[in-house]
Amino acid sequence: MMHELPVDRLAETAAALPHASLAGLREAGRTVLARQGFPTTKVEDWKYTDLGGVAALSRAWLAAGAPVDEPDTELVRRAQAGLDAHWIVIANGSVLEAFSDALALPGIGVATDASEFPKPHGALGGLNAALVRDPVRIRVSESLTKPLALLVADSATASAVTAQVRVNLAVDRGAAVQVFEHQVSSGDEGHYSNVLVELDLAADSRCDYVRLQQRATAHSQTARLDVRLDRDARFDYFGADLGGRLARHDLAVDIAGRGASATLNGVYVAGPGQHVDNHTRTDHRVGPATSRQEYRGVLAGRARAVWNGKAIVHAGADGTDAEQANHNLLLTEQAEVDAKPELEIYADDVKCAHGTTVGHLDERALYYLRTRGIGRQRARRILTRAFAATVVDSAPIAGLRETIGDAVEARLRDIMAEIGA
Amino acid sequence: MLDIKDLHAAIGGNEILRGLSLAVGAGEVHAIMGPNGSGKSTLAQVIAGHEDYEVTSGSVQYEGRDLLELAPEERAREGIFLGFQYPVEIPGVNNAYLLKAAVNAKRQHEGKDEIDAFEFLKLAREKMAALGMDPKFLNRGVNEGFSGGEKKRNEILQMAMLEPKLAVLDETDSGLDIDALKAVAEGVNALRSPERAIVLVTHYQRLLDYIEPDRVHVLSEGRIVRSGDKSLALELEEKGYEWVREAANA
Ligand SMILES: Nc1ncnc2c1ncn2[C@@H]1O[C@H](COP(=O)(O)OP(=O)(O)OP(=O)(O)O)[C@@H](O)[C@H]1O
Ligand SMILES: [Mg+2]
Repeated sequence: MMHELPVDRLAETAAALPHASLAGLREAGRTVLARQGFPTTKVEDWKYTDLGGVAALSRAWLAAGAPVDEPDTELVRRAQAGLDAHWIVIANGSVLEAFSDALALPGIGVATDASEFPKPHGALGGLNAALVRDPVRIRVSESLTKPLALLVADSATASAVTAQVRVNLAVDRGAAVQVFEHQVSSGDEGHYSNVLVELDLAADSRCDYVRLQQRATAHSQTARLDVRLDRDARFDYFGADLGGRLARHDLAVDIAGRGASATLNGVYVAGPGQHVDNHTRTDHRVGPATSRQEYRGVLAGRARAVWNGKAIVHAGADGTDAEQANHNLLLTEQAEVDAKPELEIYADDVKCAHGTTVGHLDERALYYLRTRGIGRQRARRILTRAFAATVVDSAPIAGLRETIGDAVEARLRDIMAEIGA
Repeated sequence: MLDIKDLHAAIGGNEILRGLSLAVGAGEVHAIMGPNGSGKSTLAQVIAGHEDYEVTSGSVQYEGRDLLELAPEERAREGIFLGFQYPVEIPGVNNAYLLKAAVNAKRQHEGKDEIDAFEFLKLAREKMAALGMDPKFLNRGVNEGFSGGEKKRNEILQMAMLEPKLAVLDETDSGLDIDALKAVAEGVNALRSPERAIVLVTHYQRLLDYIEPDRVHVLSEGRIVRSGDKSLALELEEKGYEWVREAANA
C-alpha cells in the first residue's frame, strides 16, 4: 500500500504558489510523486520509519486548502541573536526578505527558472518540487568571510501545515564557504517539513557544513542533503538532531573527484515519543579519496533511533579510505536503536572500517563525580554531554561548538525532567 | 568527628567488614594499614557512600549525624573527601570543569556564590604549582591517560581545592615517586588543622615519615585488630602482618 496524495489537489495548490515560471518543475514533481507515493516501511530504506503520519497530515493540509501560517518572527529573532552570519531565512517555505541579508550578496537569490534545477529525484524529491514556494539558489564564486546561515523557522499555530524547503548551493573552483543550517519550529498544531539541500563542490573548493535541527517535539521532518565532490574538494559536516517527533535525515555524498575528502559527523538526542533516523550514503567513485564518519546518539525513555551508514566503493576507486562508526548511549532501558553499517566494495586497494556500539553510562564515573559533590542528575548530564562532545567538538564551524553543546545539554535536561530520571 | 561502631558491610553477598569500630576526632590523623583484601578500600567506600556496599548493621556518625542516610554527593558537600585508590578516568570531561563544578557544588550548599572564574584559575594554578603539576593538566580529560602518579596528584589537587573536613586517602602514596610523595605529603600536611581529620590508608611506613599520624590501626579480615601510636607502623614493617593476626587470634 502506498501513502498517496491527491494529484488534483497538488495541482490546484501548485497553481496558487508564487513564481508561475516554476510550473514545469512542480509538474515534474507531481509526476514522480504520483508514480511512487510516499515510501512505506516495505521499502528497505524506510523499514523503521513510517511516513503514514506525515502523509495523513499532508492530505489533511491539502484538503483544508493548503493554509500557510504567519511566520513566527519572534522565533526568527531568537535564532538570529548572537550569531554573526549572512542570513537566509525560510519560514513555512517562504523566504523572509526582511531577515535575509544574504540576498544582497552576489549569486544568492530565489530561483524562478525551472531549468536551473535538476530533475526531481525520489518521492520526497517529487513532493518537494511539486510544492516548493521559494527555491533558493546560491553560487559561491568568492570565499565568504562570514558563515552563511540558512534558518528554517516553521510554525503551525492556526492549523496543521506542511512546508517545502529547497536550496541549491554551488561552490566554484577554489572557493570556500561555511554553512549553518538551523531548523526550528513553533506552534501546537502539526507540522511537516521536507527539506532538500543540494551542494555541488567544484575542484579544490571547500565547504564546512553544520546542521542543527531543533524542531518542536510535535513536529516532523524529512530532510536530505545531497553532496557532490569534485577533485580535491573538501566537505566537513556535522549535524545534530535534537527535536522533532519524527526526524529523518538522508545525507548522500558522492565522491566524484580524486583527492576529495569528506567528514560526516553527527549527534542525535531523542526522548519519549521521538523517532530519529539518520541514513548516510557515501559513494566512492574514484580514488584516492577519504571519508570519515562518526555519529553518536543519546536516547532516553521510549525513544527510537535508526542509523544506517552505507559506503559504496565503486570499481576502480582504488586508494579509498573509508571509516564509519556509530555509538549509542541508552540512558534508560525502554529506548531502542537500530544501527547498521553497510559496506559494498568493488575495488581492490581500499582501506575500510566500521563499527557500532550501544552502551550505558559508566557507573564508576557517575559515582566518582558524585563523591565530588556533583548531584546525580547533573553528573549524568555531564557524562552524557562528554559522550557527545567528541563529535560536537568536531563541528567544522568552531564558533558554533559551544552553542551546540549547550543545546544538547538543554535538550537532555528537558528529556530527563520528562522521564523523571 | 567520625564515629564508626560495630560496622558490618557486604558486597555481592560477601561480608567484608565484620564489626569494625573506629573513632577519629577533629584535628587527628589516623593511618590504617592491613593486608591486601582486608577491607580498607571497602571501609573508605562505605564512608564515601558507594551504593554497591550494603551496610548490614552498625552505625557511622559524622559530626553527630547519621552518615549512612546521606547520598555520596551530600557527604561530599558536608566536607567528606575520598581520594580513590584507583581514580576513575572520565574522557571528555575536562579537569578544570570537574574542579569548578565540585567547588561550586560545595559553595552552593554553603549558601555562597559561585567562585569567580579568575579566582578559580588563580587558586587552581597555585595548588597545582605546590603539587608540581603542570597547569596543562587543567585542560585534559579527568584522569584520562594520566600516569598512576599523575592520577594520585590529581586526587590531592581536588582535595586541596575542596578543603574537606574529613579526608580519607586510599593508598594515595602508592605509585608515587619520591618527589611526588613529598609534594602529596605537603598537601596533606597543609590541610592539617584542629577542625579537620585525615584518614590515611597505606601499606608503607614511608608516607608516615612525612605525615606523622596520631593513631595507627591494623585492619584484618574486616576488623581493626590492633591500634597504637606511630610506633605500631614501624613494628609492622619489621614483623609483618602475621604477627598481628597471631596476636589477634591468641
Ligand atoms: N564486588 C565484589 N564482590 C565480591 N567481593 C568483593 C567485591 N569487591 C571487593 N570484594 C572483596 O572484598 C575484599 C576487600 O576488598 P578491599 O578492596 O576493601 O581490600 P583492601 O584492604 O583495600 O585491599 P588492598 O590492600 O589490596 O587495596 C577483597 O577480598 C575483595 O575481593
Ligand atoms: Mg584497597
